[in-house]
Amino acid sequence: MRLPLRRPERGRWFGGVALGLAAHLDWPVRRVRVLFVATSLLFGFGLVVYAFLWLTVPVGDPVEAAEITRPAFLGRLARRQAESGRQLRVPGPEVLAGVLLLGGAAVLLLARRHPTVNLSWVLPVAVLLAGLVLAWSQLGAVTRGSREAGGRGQAFLRIAGGILLAGVGVLLLATQVVGKGIEPGLLGQVVVAAIAVVAGVALVLAPWWLRLVRELGDERAARAREAERADIAAHLHDSVLQTLAIIRARADEPGEVARMARAQERELREWLYQDRPAPGTSVAAEMRAVVAEVEDTRSGPEGEAVAVDLVVVGDRAPDAGTAALLQATREALVNAVVHGRPPVSAYLEVGDEQVEVFVRDHGDGFDLDDIPSDRFGVRESILGRVRRRGGTATVVSKDSGTEVHLVVPVGPCPSDDAATPANGTAQQKQKEKAT
Amino acid sequence: MNAPTTPVDVVLVDDHHMFRTGVRASLDSRVRIVGEAEDVDGAVVVIHELVPPVVLLDVHLPGGDGGGGTEVLRRCADLLSETKFLALSVSDAAEDVVGVIRVGARGYVTKAIDGPALSDAVVRVASGDAVFSPRLAGFVLDAFGTAAGDVATGDDELDRLSAREREVMRLIARGYSYREVASELFISIKTVETHVSAVLRKLQLSSRHELTRWAAARRLL
Repeated sequence: MRLPLRRPERGRWFGGVALGLAAHLDWPVRRVRVLFVATSLLFGFGLVVYAFLWLTVPVGDPVEAAEITRPAFLGRLARRQAESGRQLRVPGPEVLAGVLLLGGAAVLLLARRHPTVNLSWVLPVAVLLAGLVLAWSQLGAVTRGSREAGGRGQAFLRIAGGILLAGVGVLLLATQVVGKGIEPGLLGQVVVAAIAVVAGVALVLAPWWLRLVRELGDERAARAREAERADIAAHLHDSVLQTLAIIRARADEPGEVARMARAQERELREWLYQDRPAPGTSVAAEMRAVVAEVEDTRSGPEGEAVAVDLVVVGDRAPDAGTAALLQATREALVNAVVHGRPPVSAYLEVGDEQVEVFVRDHGDGFDLDDIPSDRFGVRESILGRVRRRGGTATVVSKDSGTEVHLVVPVGPCPSDDAATPANGTAQQKQKEKAT
Repeated sequence: MNAPTTPVDVVLVDDHHMFRTGVRASLDSRVRIVGEAEDVDGAVVVIHELVPPVVLLDVHLPGGDGGGGTEVLRRCADLLSETKFLALSVSDAAEDVVGVIRVGARGYVTKAIDGPALSDAVVRVASGDAVFSPRLAGFVLDAFGTAAGDVATGDDELDRLSAREREVMRLIARGYSYREVASELFISIKTVETHVSAVLRKLQLSSRHELTRWAAARRLL
C-alpha cells in the first residue's frame, strides 16, 4: 500500500515536501531533493511545485496517517509512544516575511534603475500576494489542528481579510489588463457583478459544503468512538490473555483457577456493563471494590475460592459514616467467606437517611455477644466501627444461614458534598477528630 | 418444588453452541429441550412452530434487525398467552434486564446459574410465576425507589410497590430463595410467588415517572 502524502515534521529541511513526496512515491529522498533543485533552475518550475505542495499538503507522519486510515481493529491496539526526535523546523512566517521584504526591495531597486518599468503592475500583484499569504497561512494552521490564541474568530477574520485583499488585487490586475479605460462608475458595476457571481456560486455549493462539514463531524465522532473501543479492547485482551495463560499454567489448582476466572469476569463486567464513576464519588463503586478485594484474597474453609453475590440499590458520595460501614462490611464478608458456607450474598441499600448492608452466608453462624472480648478482631471491627458512627450491627443466625445487618445513618445531602471535595474532606477530618 | 409428572418442554435460544450443550447437560429430568435456535429469525420460526410452554431466551442474539432477545419477544407477542419466556444472559446490565422484562419476559436469570436452579426457574415460569434473581430484585428496588414515601396504598397502583412487595424484593436481593422469604415473612411460598408476579406486572406496565427517568439514565426504553 502506498503511504499517503504528508509532510513529516522530523528530518525535514524546509517544509518537509521532499521527504513526504519521497515516502509517498517510495523513492530515496535524495533523488526527490535533487529533482526539485534541478527543476527549480528551469524557470523556477520546481520552486513553484514545492511552494504549492508546501501550502496544500498537510503536516503529519505518513506512517501514522496510514495506520489511522486503516480500520482500528487491524491496527496495533496499543499505539507506540511517539519517539521524541529532534525537530529541525524552519520558522515559516519569518522566512516568508524575509522573502517578501527582499522581493519588495528588488522591485524598488528595479524601478529606480529602469524608470520605464510600470509600477502600476506591482501594487495589484503585491495586494493579491498578501491576500493569498494571509488566507493560506491560516489554512495550514487549521489543517495542522493547532488552535492557538485567537481561535476560530481570528481564523475567520484572517480568511475573510485574505479573500478581500485577493479580490481587490485581482480586480486591480484586471483593470490593468483591460487598460486604463475603466471609469469609477463602471468599476462599481463590475464589483457588484463579481459579488453577485460569487454569491450565486456560494448558494449553489452551500448544500454540498454543509454535507461535507457534517460528514467530517461524523467521521471525527466515529473515529473517537473507535479509538475508545480500541482502548477498551486493548486493555481487555491484554488482561484476559494474561489470565488465560496463568490459568493454563496452574490448571491443577482448581481453587486458584476459579478465583482467577472470577476476578477476570468481574473486571470484564466492570468494563462492559458499568459506567465508571470518578473515584471518591460512589459508595457503590467502593462496595464493589471491597467485595473484589475479599474475593481475591480470601478462601473458604477448604481453600476454595468463594464468589460473593453483590446487589446494590442506590448510590451516594462516600463520607466518614459510609467509610466505617464499608470497613465493617469487609470484616463481615471475610468472616462469611472464611468461616461461613457459600453462597455468600451482600446487599447494599443507600437510602436518604441511612445506608444498610446485609451480608449473608449459609453457614452455622455465630453470635456476636458470644465472642470473647479478647477476640478483638470481630467484635471491634464489625460492632465497634458501626456503633461509633451512631449505627447498629446485628447478627441473625438460623438454619438457613447467618446474616449480618449493618446500618449507619447518613447526612441528608448525598451529591452536594461530592461537588466540593475539599469541603467534604475537611468535614471528614473534623468528624474523625471528634471521635 | 413439587415436580410435575410430565417434563416441561423448552425451546433453548442461544447463539453459543457450547452454552447450549452445557445447559442441555445440566438441566434435570423435570425439563426437556424440544428445540433450539441460534439467531433471532430462527428463534421466531422455531417458537411459532412448536409453541413450547417455556422459552429460554438469550438476551444478546445475532440476526433479525439487531434487536436480540427483545426483538424475538416482540415478534412472538402473539404467543405470550401460551408461551412463557425466561430471559437468560451473561450480562447483568440494567438495560438488558429491564428491557427484556418490559417486553414480556417472565423472569431473568444470569448464565452463572447452576443446573438445578435453572430447572427450578423453568418449572416456576411454566406454572405461571415470575423468576427474580437477586440482581433483578435490586433493579426493581432501584427503579421504584426505597424512600418511605414510595409505598403504594392500593393494590391497583402500578407506579409504586406495596410495603409487602418491597419487603419480598429486599429479601430476594439479599439472597433469599422463595422458600426462605416465605419462612422469614411467615407467609406461604404461593403468597411470595403472588407478590413477585405482581411486581413483575408493575415493572412491565408501570409508566412511573421515576422508572422512565431511571431507565433513561441507563439508556433503555
